[in-house]
Amino acid sequence: MKVMEETIEELRKNPATEHALKNILRRIGLTVPEGIECKNLPDNIDLRYPVVLKVSDEKILHKTDIGGVKTGIRNREELQSEFKKMKDKFPESSFLIEEMIEGGIEIIVGLIKDKSFGLSIMVGMGGINTEIYGDVTFRLIPIEPRDAEEMIDEVSIGKFTGSGFRGKYVDRDNLVNFLMKISEIGSLSDDFLEQLDLNPVKINGKDIYVLDAKLIKT
Amino acid sequence: MFENLFDPESIAIVGASQNPSKIGFAIIKNLVESGYNKQIYPVNNNAEEILGIHCFRSLSEIGEKIDLCVVALPASSSIETVRECVNLKIPYIVLIPGGFSETGESGRGMEEEISKIIHETGTRIIGPNTVGVYFPYSRVNTALTPPDRISFPVPGEIAFISQSGALGLLTMDSISEYGVGISAFMNLGNRIDVNEIEMLDYFKSDLKTRSIAMYIESVENGGEFYNMIREVNRIKPVVVLKSGRTNASAKAASLHTGAMATDDRIFDGMLKQAGVTRAYNEVELLDYSRILAHSSPFKGKNIAVITTAGGVGVITTDYISASENGIGLNMAVLSENSRELIKKSIISFGSSENPIDLTADGSVSAYDSVLSILEEDMNVDAIIAYALPQTPKMNMGITDVISKHMERGKPIVVGVIGSKLGRELLIEFEKRKIPAYPSIERTVRSLKVLYEYGKYMEGREA
Repeated sequence: MKVMEETIEELRKNPATEHALKNILRRIGLTVPEGIECKNLPDNIDLRYPVVLKVSDEKILHKTDIGGVKTGIRNREELQSEFKKMKDKFPESSFLIEEMIEGGIEIIVGLIKDKSFGLSIMVGMGGINTEIYGDVTFRLIPIEPRDAEEMIDEVSIGKFTGSGFRGKYVDRDNLVNFLMKISEIGSLSDDFLEQLDLNPVKINGKDIYVLDAKLIKT
Repeated sequence: MFENLFDPESIAIVGASQNPSKIGFAIIKNLVESGYNKQIYPVNNNAEEILGIHCFRSLSEIGEKIDLCVVALPASSSIETVRECVNLKIPYIVLIPGGFSETGESGRGMEEEISKIIHETGTRIIGPNTVGVYFPYSRVNTALTPPDRISFPVPGEIAFISQSGALGLLTMDSISEYGVGISAFMNLGNRIDVNEIEMLDYFKSDLKTRSIAMYIESVENGGEFYNMIREVNRIKPVVVLKSGRTNASAKAASLHTGAMATDDRIFDGMLKQAGVTRAYNEVELLDYSRILAHSSPFKGKNIAVITTAGGVGVITTDYISASENGIGLNMAVLSENSRELIKKSIISFGSSENPIDLTADGSVSAYDSVLSILEEDMNVDAIIAYALPQTPKMNMGITDVISKHMERGKPIVVGVIGSKLGRELLIEFEKRKIPAYPSIERTVRSLKVLYEYGKYMEGREA
């Protein structure tokens, strides 16, 4: 796993903007939406509509709360107008334009540091399920595949594996592999990582997309 | 390591007292009453003797080898005694007094001083701020409680480590009601030297211990703790009662022990990862430790129930099969052969379906037959047998019958309801190391713990 180690080294040295972080996740074999980072809207973008426009600034951690995310942009005209609005709101920041991923279920995955126990990995159902129902579970880093399996079954995600639930389905093996990779990131970055938030992560059968990624260093 | 602590040839008590209201008296009284019959050396510079035991003016005046020194002096004056213990090469100190780091900066300073004194010497410290230790096999009881207040358990198979001294004493008193035994009790107090991690390691290979019960408010060196408890739990099952689950209680725990709280969801995940059973109160803590000490874990979800009271059978069925207010396992579907055989062994209006109801006619010999049938039935993974005293044909003979079947390997958990004959039954079952519980819920939940441990251990053998 030389790629993994090199990648973590890069993460340690450089500021982790969402775009940089996603590129790193892509390099270690995770899937993120196709996207570009820019200060001004380029004449041509090689992306499939609909797209999502987000402010990309390390200093802004809760971009949705301050109007820094616009989803469902259907064409060039809409993009131009939304970009201008966003640019007026955040004149100093960069922006991320990404292809929008539709369908599937949303989960959250993260790494979080505890003073006594060090880094642990968290997985849970996304959206309100996390906040209202506490549908999340934790394990210490590193986990074994069996721990990942047990985590999936402890939260509602387990109900979507196997034959799925109401037409929505989660491929269990792929999700286990995904969690193993996040655990490995944790093992290699224990010295500088305080928190990693992948929220949401969208799962559609075998496909797992990291839609948003945040990293806080110690 | 620790042999001289758990089985000392001699114990000195510094701060020994003739005054029955003093801790220094209670400790000697407890030692004498537990039947510790090796050397006791009270140290007190005024008294000639305490409870008929000759007193010494100082530790050095004793002039004999001392394995364990119990210090019952105020915090500030205990420091000098620790230094003396080091000079006399005494291997173990139980440092009773409070007034150290739990009270603030100056207390912390005294702890640091003591740590320096014992650093790189052969002297180890339990405490400070501890109610003491109790080792029933060697009859060592250094508890500071007056002996007429608390009963101490008989020798048994559970090692009990408690971060709350008082809760530990009270829990020991409670389990004594049914003759539940322990292999050791330790209150490690502020843990300036000996800590839980080291004790887990010790009990892992202690031949008298078959399971470990821990009450925890906080853990230092979480990573090390996790690695140890995970390893030990695969050899000797561990049950943890961890308090501070909510923000409000975490704050109370922090005031109690002065430690920063870990998010309970992380602690909970850590326990699951290590396969450690979690208890939520002192009753569960000892219930679960007891079944894990007495019984072999099992695989499979199919439970058979034998009862002489229909209602008890139905409520048990609810508890077994419901996932809310229940354990989410299955009521075994008995084989045709079993049902035929059971029909022949019980009265005609009884039920040969699971739950098997022997009705008021239920006798000890009927239990014997039905248990034999269930043992042979591949559809049954574990058995709950109720020993209920209300029927005329029930008697103490049930304990021998269940004991015989328990040895054949299929796990049996016993439920008892009632207090007159019921209490006697529970005591007799415990003597035979059969897990028996005084309520439906406690019986079923304890069974679940045994199942969960078996499930965790599958493919993860030590």
